[in-house]
Amino acid sequence: MIYFDNSATTKPCEAVADVLSREIRSEDMWANPGSIHKIGVKCDKAYKDALTKTSALLGCKASEIVFTSCGTESTNTALRGYLAANKRAGKTVISTRTEHKATLETLALLESEGYKVVYIDVDRDGKPLLDQLENAVNEDTALLSFTHVNNETGSILPLPEITAIRDRKNPSAKIYLDCVQSLGKLQIDLSKMNVDMAGFSGHKIHSVKGVGVLYVRDGIRFAPLVRGGGQQEGRRSGTLSLLLADAFTAALEEAVSKREDAYKRVSEINSYLREELIKRNAVINSPEDALPFVLNVAFEGFQSETMLHCLEIYDIYVSTVSACSSKSKKVSYVLTEMGVRRELAANSCRLSFSRYNTMEEAKIFIEKLDEIYDLYLVKKR
Amino acid sequence: MRSTIFIWSRRGNMSTNVILARMGEVTLKGLNRGKFEAQLKNNLKYRLRDFGKLKIYQSQSRIYIEAKEEGNPVFENEKSAEQILHAVTQVFGIVSASLAYKFNCDDIEGVQENALTYVRGFLQLHPEYKTFKVESKRGNKRFPMKSPEICDYVGGYILENVPSLTVNVKEPDFILHVEIRDDNYVYAGKTMGHRGLPVGTSGKGMLLLSGGIDSPVAGYMMASRGMQLDAVYFHSFPYTSDQAKQKVIDLARIVSRFSGKMNLYVVNFTKIQLDMVKNSPEDMITITMRRVMLQIAEQLALKTGCGCLITGESLGQVASQTLEAINITNEVVKLPILRPLIGMDKEATCDLSRKIGAFETSILPYEDCCTVFVAKHPKTHPKHEDIEKAEANLDIAGMVNDGVTQGLEVIEI
Repeated sequence: MIYFDNSATTKPCEAVADVLSREIRSEDMWANPGSIHKIGVKCDKAYKDALTKTSALLGCKASEIVFTSCGTESTNTALRGYLAANKRAGKTVISTRTEHKATLETLALLESEGYKVVYIDVDRDGKPLLDQLENAVNEDTALLSFTHVNNETGSILPLPEITAIRDRKNPSAKIYLDCVQSLGKLQIDLSKMNVDMAGFSGHKIHSVKGVGVLYVRDGIRFAPLVRGGGQQEGRRSGTLSLLLADAFTAALEEAVSKREDAYKRVSEINSYLREELIKRNAVINSPEDALPFVLNVAFEGFQSETMLHCLEIYDIYVSTVSACSSKSKKVSYVLTEMGVRRELAANSCRLSFSRYNTMEEAKIFIEKLDEIYDLYLVKKR
Repeated sequence: MRSTIFIWSRRGNMSTNVILARMGEVTLKGLNRGKFEAQLKNNLKYRLRDFGKLKIYQSQSRIYIEAKEEGNPVFENEKSAEQILHAVTQVFGIVSASLAYKFNCDDIEGVQENALTYVRGFLQLHPEYKTFKVESKRGNKRFPMKSPEICDYVGGYILENVPSLTVNVKEPDFILHVEIRDDNYVYAGKTMGHRGLPVGTSGKGMLLLSGGIDSPVAGYMMASRGMQLDAVYFHSFPYTSDQAKQKVIDLARIVSRFSGKMNLYVVNFTKIQLDMVKNSPEDMITITMRRVMLQIAEQLALKTGCGCLITGESLGQVASQTLEAINITNEVVKLPILRPLIGMDKEATCDLSRKIGAFETSILPYEDCCTVFVAKHPKTHPKHEDIEKAEANLDIAGMVNDGVTQGLEVIEI
């Protein structure tokens, strides 16, 4: 199997499998960390260890992170929670139309609640137009919400430029950064990034589905989305899952330690594929300076879905637009916002890599692609 | 003789132990009537095969369905009894059916008691009903009361014991029927069936199933005239996904609820289609493709004992369904092509599709073979010379032969 769909989800790594199997069979590590008996306290301590490790790896304090169920929950909590708790911060939110649906749907809800959302256009490379942003930020701006790395194209956000505009135009406006696709691939050091909130997801870094992280800088108030027993300092109620916290931490440790190697290897794979694909008249939609882990490409003569199924014959897996929404028959809104023609967008697939992919796989991919063109290209007379 | 009330197979408060189904058109048959009725009973047996051991028997224009032995879970509660009722009404040849209670006693007290139990169960399914009346028939003339008296006694007893009900003889919410025969029956409510003739009494047809709205409806309509079905689907993986194929399988299952057992033949159409686009003009692809599909379907039909082909075509709906196009596709096969939707409006077809429970599946948005290869502007009024030209460079016989031999998959539905 050649799995080039790592932006949809990733295979859990060995370290995570170890943690899970050890803990799920353990004598007492399943206790409720909220219980005050001995085994509860033991689990609570282990939970705090996970928090400490994770926060250290992200470059922040343990008090600044909350475990959530997924990236989507992190985004929902950050956007809604910040605005709900800071009514006087302003009524405007700034974002782009190429965000993940978790952001776009939350913004739509906020709009219906009376907030003004300003969408900054993106250029051909998927980056927000900075002069437009400069003009948009004002004293009414409460929040800016951007994606660190776009899930469909790998476009990298010009973060330093964006934080500079915020600092210049309205230093009290906050920034939420969706880091779901950048974690483990770009260096994430929250102490240096100058953002106020950030969201992460476990299953995109070889952990399991069901766990995410929300970072909120100390001193920033936010209203919890999930209320109840007051766990995690009341910021996210619900019985703590030591199992999931550890599964996240284990994956993050490994992702961080292997990050540089993985980046180098995947860059080589990406350059090789770009070169070979261009030779075959495929159109690369990902910008030149995109994160090498994502390669969005249009295959002329093949609808995205058809190419996906052709590759499937050879046990090669990619995705059409973003995997969460591939059932709807629309072309990618991310690509059309970037100015990609509809016909080209309809032929686009996303290849996305992980540290487990090899150059060998890339070569087989190209070989099979030639076979596919040979066998399945519809040549109308 | 005054017997005690004999209650059999009653468990808890269950008030149904038999389904009473009425036959329609079948009873108008003359000398053949027996054949039709036997087929209908067989079809019921098949349709109800998952409901435990049942006894299905007939008396006059009715068919009775009851548990073969005590403890058939189907008759254990009102909800599962309603499921079996629903299945019975989906069998062609049945006009309507009712959940009834059958009992054996020869005094009015027994009838009253059993009627009351039945009504209580019936009201669990229809708590909104507030008014009723009683109608009765007395076939067993030894029963000591006449029909009007039976109505009085039973109605009065129910009024006394079910405070939520009142009598309304003009427009009751439900009519309680009491029948005194060799066995006695009480029932209320009537679920309408799909009428028609029992499947298997009008031969067998090969349905061209595409995955759209029309073809399952066409299959349903022919089955309603007693025709048994097999179906053929042209699959073009990777241009059509396996989800599209699964959708067709699901549709075949929906049709088979009415038409009974069928085989679905999945023709591997990819190579044929690719050859076709490569070697014939784009604006004639749809027609050429349909001609080949019909020939493949005919070959399969002949091999499996089908006497006709069935399509969901409706005049003028799309390019391949103009009169000219129908003429040109029709002429490649000898078997008759039945097109039950030919004069039907799309809305009416959609209504029927909803009625048989296929609509939601039909509109699932997977690509199907017709959409990938078609031209933007297909010829709507093809002439003979057009088709001759279009097929000049194609090995049609080879394609048809490939279709029925290479990679043909048979799925039992």
